[in-house]
Amino acid sequence: MTSSVPTLQVCRDCGGGAPVDVHFCPQCEKILSLSRHGDYFAFMGLPHRLNIEAAELERRFRALSRQFHPDFFYNATTAERRASLERSSYLNDAYRTLRDPVTRLQYILQIEGLAPQGPAEASRQAPPALLEEVFALNEELDEVRDARTAGAADDVWRGRLDRARQPIETKRVAHEAQLQELSARWDTLADRPAADAERRAVLQALGERFLERNYINNLLAGIERELTQ
Amino acid sequence: MAYSDKVIDHYENPRNVGSMPKDDVNVGTGLVGAPECGDVMKLQVKVNPLTGIIDDAKFKTFGCGSAIASSSLATEWLKGKTVDEALAIKNTDIVAELSLPPVKIHCSVLAEDAIKAAIGDYKKKQAAEGKTAEKVAQPTA
Repeated sequence: MTSSVPTLQVCRDCGGGAPVDVHFCPQCEKILSLSRHGDYFAFMGLPHRLNIEAAELERRFRALSRQFHPDFFYNATTAERRASLERSSYLNDAYRTLRDPVTRLQYILQIEGLAPQGPAEASRQAPPALLEEVFALNEELDEVRDARTAGAADDVWRGRLDRARQPIETKRVAHEAQLQELSARWDTLADRPAADAERRAVLQALGERFLERNYINNLLAGIERELTQ
Repeated sequence: MAYSDKVIDHYENPRNVGSMPKDDVNVGTGLVGAPECGDVMKLQVKVNPLTGIIDDAKFKTFGCGSAIASSSLATEWLKGKTVDEALAIKNTDIVAELSLPPVKIHCSVLAEDAIKAAIGDYKKKQAAEGKTAEKVAQPTA
């Protein structure tokens, strides 16, 4: 989210101004209440990258956790105690979201306005061809289950499952490679203005890949379950 | 979270599971998916060409109980309705009937999308059929 509006928060204690991504008032050094704040990345002092080193993220999380910890504000004013709780809780949300590459991507898509945020927007559709394929494979899976229940020989139903798995497994591998390539490209483009055509194209492609992910994974999980039962 | 009795009933005894020939000009097919959970839902309507009323509706859903119940209920409601009445079915009606909790509202949205897609497909086929009928009719006129 790039914004040209100067983003400032105001210290409720001394009335001084501070940039949104600092946690303590530069004037009076008191913990700032969580009024106006940046996104999870800004909160943790990170750029909007998809490839983040886990160790670096954890280091930042631990450092900030220590700074905000409510135990250190035990004797402080009510406002400071509340601020420490607010910042601790927001930090936990930020860390939980950014730690997992999938929720991290989802979060980037969301703050860039590309992910469904509620039921009203939930109807963004994956490509029809993928839905057709997933539906057909689900039907095949159903038929294999029926055949198995009806007493089909082991190698018969296993063979059918293997044949069903191959195309979707190939798709998953290709999908994974595309996501990685797009993520790397995004990381070089993230700092460009939001209107930049290349940046938007990569974001759009990431959004489309993201829509496809659960269909592919669910289907593979279903096949896997059937094979191991 | 507990499913309501109505969801469980539709899940255990789904109405109108199955499929109708996709190529039938009186059959509209909608195939939609929910990217959040990977559910896929196919819903079909068969419209009586003489009365314009939906004679039959079928569905097949691969997904959670709420998605199955939402589409099962939708097929029950569709039968006996005109195409325009069918389009008036809102996901909120499904939510109310099945007492779906907020996290399952997207299942009802999916069912509404499936109805719209099926009717859209039917209308498209009818329009195409009208054109070919005209073409066939012209030489004999």
